[in-house]
Amino acid sequence: MLASASASASFLPRPKPKPHLLKRLASALTPPSPLSPSTGADPDPDQDPTPLFLRPPAHPVPAPSLAAFRRRAAALVPPSAPHLHRHLRWLLADAAHDPDADPALLRAPLGDLEALWLRHVRDRRPFQYVVGNEHWRDLVVAVREGVLIPRPETEAVVEMVGRVEGFEAGWWTDLGTGSGAIAVAVARMLGPEGKVFATDVSEVAIEVARLNVQRYGMQDKVQIRHGSWFEPLEDLKGKFMGVISNPPYIPTDDLPGLQPEVGWHEPKLALDGGKDGLDHLLHLCEGLSSVLKPGGFFVFETNGNKQSEFLVDFLSTKWDSSFHDVEAVLDFADIKRFVTGYRR
Amino acid sequence: MASRLLTRSTAARLLSHLRFSRALNPSDHLPAHGAGLATLLAPGRGLPAAAKPCPTRDPTRWFSSPAAVAEAPTTADGLTVDSIAGKGWTILPEAESDWRSHAAAVAQSVKLIKKRLKWGWILERSRQLSVVLERPDLWDDTVFAGKVSREHGELMGKIKSVNQFEQELMEHIDMLRLAREEDDNELETETMRALADMRRSAKEKELNALLSGNNDSFSCFIEVQAGAGGTESMDWAAMVMNMYRSWAQQRGYTVTIVEEMPGEVAGIKRATIKVDGEYAFGYAKAEVGVHRLVRISPFDSGKRRHTSFAAVAVIPILGDSSTRYQIKDSDLRIERFRSGGPGGQHANCTESAVRIVHIPTGITATCQNERSQHMNKASAMAVLQSRLDQLEIARQAQMNADHTQSLSEISWGNQIRSYVLHPYRMVKDLRTNYEVSDPDSVLNGELDDFILNFLSTSLDEADGSP
Ligand SMILES: C[S@@+](CC[C@H](N)C(=O)[O-])C[C@H]1O[C@@H](n2cnc3c(N)ncnc32)[C@H](O)[C@@H]1O
Repeated sequence: MLASASASASFLPRPKPKPHLLKRLASALTPPSPLSPSTGADPDPDQDPTPLFLRPPAHPVPAPSLAAFRRRAAALVPPSAPHLHRHLRWLLADAAHDPDADPALLRAPLGDLEALWLRHVRDRRPFQYVVGNEHWRDLVVAVREGVLIPRPETEAVVEMVGRVEGFEAGWWTDLGTGSGAIAVAVARMLGPEGKVFATDVSEVAIEVARLNVQRYGMQDKVQIRHGSWFEPLEDLKGKFMGVISNPPYIPTDDLPGLQPEVGWHEPKLALDGGKDGLDHLLHLCEGLSSVLKPGGFFVFETNGNKQSEFLVDFLSTKWDSSFHDVEAVLDFADIKRFVTGYRR
Repeated sequence: MASRLLTRSTAARLLSHLRFSRALNPSDHLPAHGAGLATLLAPGRGLPAAAKPCPTRDPTRWFSSPAAVAEAPTTADGLTVDSIAGKGWTILPEAESDWRSHAAAVAQSVKLIKKRLKWGWILERSRQLSVVLERPDLWDDTVFAGKVSREHGELMGKIKSVNQFEQELMEHIDMLRLAREEDDNELETETMRALADMRRSAKEKELNALLSGNNDSFSCFIEVQAGAGGTESMDWAAMVMNMYRSWAQQRGYTVTIVEEMPGEVAGIKRATIKVDGEYAFGYAKAEVGVHRLVRISPFDSGKRRHTSFAAVAVIPILGDSSTRYQIKDSDLRIERFRSGGPGGQHANCTESAVRIVHIPTGITATCQNERSQHMNKASAMAVLQSRLDQLEIARQAQMNADHTQSLSEISWGNQIRSYVLHPYRMVKDLRTNYEVSDPDSVLNGELDDFILNFLSTSLDEADGSP
C-alpha cells in the first residue's frame, strides 16, 4: 500500500541523532527497548499502513504494565520539551480503547508502542505520524509518512470558502489536496449540488485523501484525481466557483533549516516551492482564469508577508483585467498568510 | 452577613420586576440590555452597548399588591401547615410513632422549603406571568412568548409540587384520625409509616430547594487564580483546582480543563475548568471568593510557615440562548496564543491554543486543551460568551442573587475559607463558621457539607418572605 520507497525517497536527508543522547535515552528505558539500536535505517515498528488510531483494540495490557510504560515514557521527556507529556497523554488516548481500563485494550502491542514513543522522542518523528492522525478543525484527519500533516493556519481557508456567496451549490477544487483535509471540510459544508474536485500528484496523498473522504462519508461529494495541478481538470475548465490551494511554498534554500519534525520527516514534494518558493503559486495564478467561472473565488496559502504581498501586486497589476478584490489575509499570528480574490 | 443577603435578595426581586416591566412592552424587551440598576455598577465595567434607560416603574407597587395565595390545603378540621407549625408540638426522633411530632416536622420543612423558594415572590410572579400569557398578541413574538411560558411552567411546577406535598400531609392526618376513630390498627400503622416517610422526603426537598436560583441548574466554569506570593500561592492554586476537580468528579460531573497557565516552578498561575452536569453552578457558586492556606512551605528550605491565597470564580453556562449577550464578530480579535516563527508549512506544532479578545470590553478567553485550533477556538468562544453573559448579568444588577463575581471583581480581602495545615489542622468557612478538622478530606473534594451549609445559611438567614 504505502509506496515506502517513493515516500522515503522524497524525505530530506535525516541527520543521525547524537550517540551520547541515544545512550542516555536507551538507559532510561527499563526494560531495554525492544528496538535494535538505531542505525539510521530502523526497522519500521509501524509497518501496518493502517493509522494506529484506526486499528482494532486487540491487545489487552494489564493496568500496572501500562502504568509502568507511562512512567518509562515520561522519563524520556527532556525538561526542554514539556509538550511531550501532552503527546504521551494523546498517544495513550489514541492507542487504547480506554487507557484507564484494566486490562487496557491497546491498538498495538505494548512493545510497538514503546518503540513508537522512542522514535518520536529520539528521531523527532512527528507525533501525528506516530498516532496516524491530526485533529484539524472538527475532523480527525488520518495522516502517514509521505503526506503533509495539515497545519492549524490552513483551517481558516475553510472559513473563507464558507463566506463566499452561494458557495454551497458550487463546484470547488482543492489543488494539492494532500491528506484531503481541506476537501473533506469544504465538502461537509456543501449543499446537494456542491462538489469538490481534489487533485494531487503524489500517490500516497491520493491514497490518504481517499481514506479521509471515505471516513467522513464524502465519496459522493469529493472526487479525487491524480495529476499535476490543473492537468486532471481539463474537462472542467470554466466550471469552478472556487479554487483552493495550499501548494508547496518554502524556498528551496530554507529547507535544510526546517525543524526536524518537518525537515527530516515530511515529504519534500509537499514543501519545496523552488528558488523563491513561488514556483507553484505562480503556476497556479496563471491557470486560475481558465478554470474559474466568471465571478469565481480563489484562495491560496503562502509563506507569509513577502510572498503574499508579491502575489497581490502581481495579480492586481499584471492580471488586473482578470481579477478583482485581490487581497492578503492575515492568520491568527498576524502574518499575511493567504491571498484571495475573484475572477472578473 | 444577614443585611448583605437581604440587600441581595431584595435587589433580585427588584431586578426581576424591572425585567418584567420591560418585558411587558414588546418593542423594548429584546435584547435585554438596558437596565435601571446600571448606575450601581463601578465605572468602566459596563458593556458598551447603549444602555437604554429603563422605564422604572414604581417598584413598591410590585410588593404592595396583595399576593394571590393559592388556597392552602387543610385537614377536615381546618389545620394548615402554618397552623401546625405554630402549635409548637414537640418534634421527637423519627422512630417515635407520634403523629403530631411527624406532622410538626413536615410542616416546618414545608415552611423552610417555601422560604428557600421565595414563596411569596413566586406566587406573585406566576400570577403576573399568567396575565401576560393571556394576551392575544403574545405569540407575535415567539421568543418572548417562549420565555414567558417556560418560566411560568417552571414556577407552576414548583408551586404544584409543594402544594401537593402539603395536601398529602393533610390527608395523612385525616386518615390517621379516622383510623383511630375506627380502631383500625393496620391503617394507623400504615399511615404512621407514611408520615415518617414524608419527614424523610421533606428533608430531601429542603436540600433541593437550596438550588432553586435562576441559573442553578446549569453547568459552569470554575476559575482559580493564584494570589501574590509566587510559587507558594501557585502551588496552592493548583491544590484548590484539584479539590474542585475531585469534588466535581465525585458528584458525577464531567470535568474538562479549558485553560491552564502553569507556574514557573510549580502549580498554576491560573486555570479554568468546565464542569458539566445538572446543578453544577448551583453548588459551585458557593465557592466564589478567596481561599487561604496556612502551612509549612514545601518550597522554603527554612521550613517556615507561609500563608497563601487563591481566588475562585464561578460562571454559569447559560442554556437559554435568547438571554445571552450577543457577540459581534467584528468586536473580536483572535490571536495565536504563543506565536513566533514563520508558521505554516515551516512548523510542526501540536499546541494550537488561541486567545480571543473582545475588543470593547477587553475581556479575553483562551483554550489550549483541545487538539485542533478550531476546537480550541470554539471552547475559548464558549468561555468568552459566559464571561460576557456574566458581565451582562452584573451590569443589569450588581447585587443580583444570580450574579457571582468574576475573578477581576473579587477582592483579595474577601476571604471565605481558611485551610490550616500547621500548627493545627482545620478547615473553617468564615461565612458560616462551619469547620472540619480533616483538611485532607476537604482537599480531596469533600466539599458538599461546606457548600450546603453556606447555601442554607445564605438562604435561610435572608429575610426571604416578602
Ligand atoms: C503543502 S501540501 C498541502 C496539503 C493539503 N492541501 C494541506 O493543506 O494540508 C502541498 C501538496 O501539493 C502536492 N503537490 C506538489 N506538487 C504538486 C503538483 N505538481 N501537482 C499537484 N499537487 C502537487 C503535494 O503532494 C502536497 O500534497
